[in-house]
Amino acid sequence: MKVLIIIPAFNEEANIVRVTDHLISDYPQFDYVIVNDGSSDHTAEICREHGYRMIDHPVNLGLAGAVRTGMKYALENGYDAAIQFDGDGQHRPEYIGAMAEKIAEGYDVVIGSRFVTEKKDGSLRMVGSRMIESFIRLTTGKKINDPTSGMRMYSRRIIKMLAADASLTPEPDTVAYLIRCGAKICEVQVHMDERIAGESYLNLRRAVQYMATVCISILLGGWFRDIKSLGEEAQ
Amino acid sequence: MTPAFRILLILAAVLSFMFMISNIRRSRLRISDSIFWFLFAALLILLAVFPQIAYFFGGLLGIISTVNLVFLVIIALLLFRVFTLTLRVSELDGKIEELAQTIALKNMKDNEKE
Repeated sequence: MKVLIIIPAFNEEANIVRVTDHLISDYPQFDYVIVNDGSSDHTAEICREHGYRMIDHPVNLGLAGAVRTGMKYALENGYDAAIQFDGDGQHRPEYIGAMAEKIAEGYDVVIGSRFVTEKKDGSLRMVGSRMIESFIRLTTGKKINDPTSGMRMYSRRIIKMLAADASLTPEPDTVAYLIRCGAKICEVQVHMDERIAGESYLNLRRAVQYMATVCISILLGGWFRDIKSLGEEAQ
Repeated sequence: MTPAFRILLILAAVLSFMFMISNIRRSRLRISDSIFWFLFAALLILLAVFPQIAYFFGGLLGIISTVNLVFLVIIALLLFRVFTLTLRVSELDGKIEELAQTIALKNMKDNEKE
């Protein structure tokens, strides 16, 4: 099975070498591609110097655009599975193998989840996570323990869908929509690291905005969006 | 506010709801882009169902005819929307120019190589 690791990178000069070198030296069985999303720092130059495989956006498209570029690359090059992998070192590659096995078993979406066997703490972030979890359960009847995890692996037929439809962003509402379309979903327990360098994207204002957008999107998408056919199941 | 005006507000809100939903259904509109309009329609319904809100704020601002407050709110929200859209359009303009130039320069390089 061919697995592609998609690494969206926006101003990740502090992390990209550590993350990519780790993948190249310890996980050569997986292919990777960095999608440099119009970084204003030296991410692109660093990738070129090291000879990394990189797709270079001439303008900034945002995370959704960068991930979709990776999906298009995966589709064109015949990958069976593609995983979104953060360029800031929060995601650990040691779990990719286990997630790929789930895809091979026939699952369409495999979430690298922090809370399958471990419990959520009571922080504000987890309150948000619980809220999204209950909205997804409301519209799909499925329990997703870690809907906000950015570490998600997709099967080929989902890759096809994500590559084509610009309204499917790499967010929890897309997960909910895919479940409604009949995608088989499972979670694999992972551990995530704190960011080592650089700044986190989330502040309070953004967090509130994010919560509102995601919750409304899950509800509206759940109630109104037409169900799409996922196409043939991979054998 | 007369009952007829309140019904008109609700009608406008319901129509815009339906318009948004039909576009979301066909994946022509990103849900994140539609949120403003849903909130806008919800506000119209709120004002129509509870005109006391409009009366209260109208009194506060010394507006004699309450419908004028409703108009004021609608105009303010629309102006805000136009402004954010202007920001987005000029950002898009910049990106399109950048893209076109990148492609053009790349094409020139490719042609010279041949």
